[in-house]
Amino acid sequence: MPAVTGVYVYGIVPGDVEADPEARGVGGDSTPVTVVHHGRIAAMVSELDLDRPLGTPADLLSHEALLDATAAVVPVLPVRFGAVLTHRQAVVDELLAPHHDEFDAALRELEGKAEYVISARYVRDSVLRDVIAGDPEIERLREAIRDKPEDATRNERIALGQAVNNAIDARRQADTQAVAEAVAPVADGVITREPAGEYEAAAVAVLTGLDREPELVRKVEELTERRAGQLEVRLLGPLAPYDFVTALRPGA
Amino acid sequence: MSTSLQPRGGGGIERPTSTSLAEVIDTILDKGLVIDAYVRVSLVGIELLTIDARIVVASVDTYLKFAEAVNRLDISQEKAGLPELVGDITEGGAKHKVKGSAQGVLEAVGDKVRDVIDTGSEREKAPRRRREG
Repeated sequence: MPAVTGVYVYGIVPGDVEADPEARGVGGDSTPVTVVHHGRIAAMVSELDLDRPLGTPADLLSHEALLDATAAVVPVLPVRFGAVLTHRQAVVDELLAPHHDEFDAALRELEGKAEYVISARYVRDSVLRDVIAGDPEIERLREAIRDKPEDATRNERIALGQAVNNAIDARRQADTQAVAEAVAPVADGVITREPAGEYEAAAVAVLTGLDREPELVRKVEELTERRAGQLEVRLLGPLAPYDFVTALRPGA
Repeated sequence: MSTSLQPRGGGGIERPTSTSLAEVIDTILDKGLVIDAYVRVSLVGIELLTIDARIVVASVDTYLKFAEAVNRLDISQEKAGLPELVGDITEGGAKHKVKGSAQGVLEAVGDKVRDVIDTGSEREKAPRRRREG
């Protein structure tokens, strides 16, 4: 019995793009990534066996790897993970044709640009010392739980943890703002992400020209040097502009 | 000697060649175009991951963890450099917090991810452009 297949959609690209015959996506080694054209735009797709559950780590990583590799070369509107249509004609009829002009305009705007993410984490002991030094109440609560059993000091521990959390949160807001301001001069767009970890200092998505990457790297380096010993900074990219396409929501 | 896997650039910036699975989950499940013409496919644990992959910053668990970290700070000042402390710091740092039943999923997922990242060849397989210039 032949497997039921669908067409998995990665993203929208300009119509003059063609897929690398070697490119593979979520379907595994047997299913190449191809392009469905319509007018001035196209969709990157691959065939998907619908009997196979979707969403393994390999699926997630290959979805992003393909989009990021694409973003380094041509503008791309990334589609959220898990978009599957019934067949190639449905990609034209249900996705490309109804939104042709909107996608085309967005791709023109993105020409030569990509997303970068600046992700900064606090060096744990450094931020904790800073927080303790900054608030006598935290120091007092810390003394109160010292050398005492965990069960007997639960309320104090919660109060202490909450005070630390609030202090770090205040620093996080200031540092997120500082990162956003530091990169703004070299960015066409800046979006701050929600914190994804308790020691995260900032996660800031930047849209900028691929040719401005060296300037962006310099800005991030300056920031990192100013905060050496306090922050660990990572710069991801070029990435597909995930954070900047959410305004275009044909499904909403 | 340098390899392509070492961080690039000065100033202590890390330029990873691959994003972590946690970051990928945050990005591709949470952002991007949403289209309304999906066919039904079964998704592996995705709902659990999207709900729980993002840390709940203001929870009692988080408070207790902060309290313990502050409580232990003394020890790390007195006995800095002990291997077990270093290990503890590394582990406490990078992971996203995942609650309940999603925990097994995400950890299992994390184990497999290293294999994928090590191959690291997908990035070169980008589409090409027909356009001249």
